[in-house]
Amino acid sequence: MSEFKSGFFIGGEACNGRVLVVDDEPDIRKVVKMTLQKAGYEVLEAENGEKAIEVINSGENRLLLDVVICDIRMPKINGAEAIAYFRSNYPHVPLIVLTGFPDTDMATSFLRQGVVDYLVKPVEGEKLRSAVARAMEQRELARL
Amino acid sequence: MESSDYTKVAILGAGRGGRALLDLLHQIPSIEIVGIADRDPDAPGLARARELQVPVTTNVPGLISNHGLSLIMDVTGDPEMETYLYTHKPPTADILSGSASRLLWKLIQHESKLEAELLQAEKLAGIGSFAAGIAHDINNPLQLILGLAENLTEERDLVAVHEQARDIIQAVKRTSAICRDLTGYSRRASPHEDVPVAVNGKLDEALKIARYASNFHDIEMIKHYQPGVSVKGNPDELLHVLVNLITNAVHAMEHVGGTLTLETKLCEGQVDVRISDTGCGISPDKIPEIFEPFFTTKAPGKGTGLGLYNVKTIVNKMHGVIAVDSQIDKGTTFTLTFPNAEPDRQGPLP
Repeated sequence: MSEFKSGFFIGGEACNGRVLVVDDEPDIRKVVKMTLQKAGYEVLEAENGEKAIEVINSGENRLLLDVVICDIRMPKINGAEAIAYFRSNYPHVPLIVLTGFPDTDMATSFLRQGVVDYLVKPVEGEKLRSAVARAMEQRELARL
Repeated sequence: MESSDYTKVAILGAGRGGRALLDLLHQIPSIEIVGIADRDPDAPGLARARELQVPVTTNVPGLISNHGLSLIMDVTGDPEMETYLYTHKPPTADILSGSASRLLWKLIQHESKLEAELLQAEKLAGIGSFAAGIAHDINNPLQLILGLAENLTEERDLVAVHEQARDIIQAVKRTSAICRDLTGYSRRASPHEDVPVAVNGKLDEALKIARYASNFHDIEMIKHYQPGVSVKGNPDELLHVLVNLITNAVHAMEHVGGTLTLETKLCEGQVDVRISDTGCGISPDKIPEIFEPFFTTKAPGKGTGLGLYNVKTIVNKMHGVIAVDSQIDKGTTFTLTFPNAEPDRQGPLP
């Protein structure tokens, strides 16, 4: 895993950063988690926007959460609302949209709001990992 | 009702033309069909007339001497009948026969073709609103399949391999079910004759389809189904009606959530189907317009304005009525009332 040299270790496992996956489908969270864990990321899950906001506001996540991957079509607080919240309260945390519905207008509007990537399901593991790696770089820059 | 608006009609001939006339005229409240006559006791229009409780006879002189008869519609195509009518009709009655009745028959056929076209046009226009739901429901399992398959290329644990392969199979099945649901819905309503349709099953089928067209997040579902109720009609058309009403109900609760209640009930020989939401409601001044063609409250390009018009057309064709009860910010209830398809059953099962 040469591309993740900057990793440090937590409990004996490589940790290249902490990622929050927000999706109402447990299957998606499971498979995204599987894909990212292989690249040494620690993955947290939330099933909707409301839960995602809870997670980012809880304890050390305020400081340690590096990247959020967010679906759009979700119950409670949907993806668009959650993204607006993250942008205004945690502007240094890069956001990646992972959606089942390719919509150019929506993509443009999210990218304008500062979302770093707009990925359409199904996305290959490699593509997802490199999107997260790019987002991590941005996060590092924001920390400097 | 003004008596001058009221028309008493006799239909002569119960073939395809007579039957179509019967179906059409029966829907118009200001028309009373005093009877239908045909020499052939097996003519299709006679069976239909019995269902609609319209008097059936072979006695033409008796029928046309009915008191206050204002119109005789002769669709027998028999020149002798035409001659007979002109010499024996009561002075108050007009006659529609020969080429005039053939023209009317053509117009009716044309109208029913137009109705079918409108229905199809609305369905096709509506497919657009399904796109987001379909994409979501297809791409999610695809993501699972792709992720698992990628993992399988390097997975060493045989137990995990088996488990993930099973997950992939399930995901493929889920995806193919989507296509099955939707192809059934988008096809042109099959022209088969009216058959008894189990309403509860149709409501569940409609619910599945409506999920693609609208966002059911934050919607609580309540079902009060009376077991075994059925109505007579075209199953595809009834499905269309229910999808339409459920989709509207869910749209009315968009962003705020609420409760969708589906109810079926058999009472006094009639079947009630009720679809209620706790959404935004319809303002009282709009209610008289909602069944008009091309009336829509949606943004341009979002609604065809044909939805409720088609709903009403189909419900009337099934000899049913539709009623709406709505309060702003409280919700809306649409009640469909149909004749019971199983007249032996007048009430709930014991």
